[in-house]
Amino acid sequence: MVDWLTMTIQMASLAMAGWCLVSTFRDQPMLVPHLVGMGVLWLLVIGQAVASAAAVVGGDRPAEAAMFVSYLATVVLLPPACAVWGFMERSKWGPAVIAFACLVLAVLMVRLEQLWNPVA
Amino acid sequence: MPDTATPADRTLRTGPGRLLVAVYSVFALAATARGSYQLATRFGEAPLAYALSVAAGAVYLVAAVGLARAGRVSRTVALAACGVELAGVLLVGSLSVFVPGLLPDDTVWSRFGSGYVFVPLVLPVLGLWWILRVHRTDRDRPGAGDRT
Repeated sequence: MVDWLTMTIQMASLAMAGWCLVSTFRDQPMLVPHLVGMGVLWLLVIGQAVASAAAVVGGDRPAEAAMFVSYLATVVLLPPACAVWGFMERSKWGPAVIAFACLVLAVLMVRLEQLWNPVA
Repeated sequence: MPDTATPADRTLRTGPGRLLVAVYSVFALAATARGSYQLATRFGEAPLAYALSVAAGAVYLVAAVGLARAGRVSRTVALAACGVELAGVLLVGSLSVFVPGLLPDDTVWSRFGSGYVFVPLVLPVLGLWWILRVHRTDRDRPGAGDRT
């Protein structure tokens, strides 16, 4: 886990969640800017996943490695999954799904950080 | 009873329904994964609590599929799943508060879902509200009652 990436991902996903909530209340469907935002977020998450996976393979792994890897996989799958949702639902509920996913993403990053550095 | 897709059936999974399906899927995954992992690694500590998490995950999955599929049968299934969920979160929530020794480790439904910002408590209510709303529009449409 790269600390500054974790922080950046959390800030970015919370910002995305806020933005998508505003879009929901403005009755907008998912638009290209949302997709670009999710793309950037996804790249950040993939970067973090690759760095963490490299560390795990290199021997620097948390105590509950299986748990950590499964959380990591979920986090990587989350942004494309909610983008697909945004394509299916061409109404204000598309951004609502993305907002929810971004909040879950921020929580999952906290959980990953706890697994990586358990506070005993 | 054929699982035919009437216009109202389609509205079950569009709009707010789509958001509900997303939230239910995430909770299905979270509860099932957490419960199975705990059952596999720490079965001896609190088997009842872990089994309960898996069961809760299964109910969430049934509700998610029921909401996502178009059809009257699916709607009934989703309605039942949401009802079971509401009963479960209230029962397990009260048990965890009044009989703390019964479940040594936390489940999704412990303390009314406080570990998950009370989403497990709100979710079945929203689910029931949405299904009943769609059900009502479907029933009020003329001729809709013929197709059962």
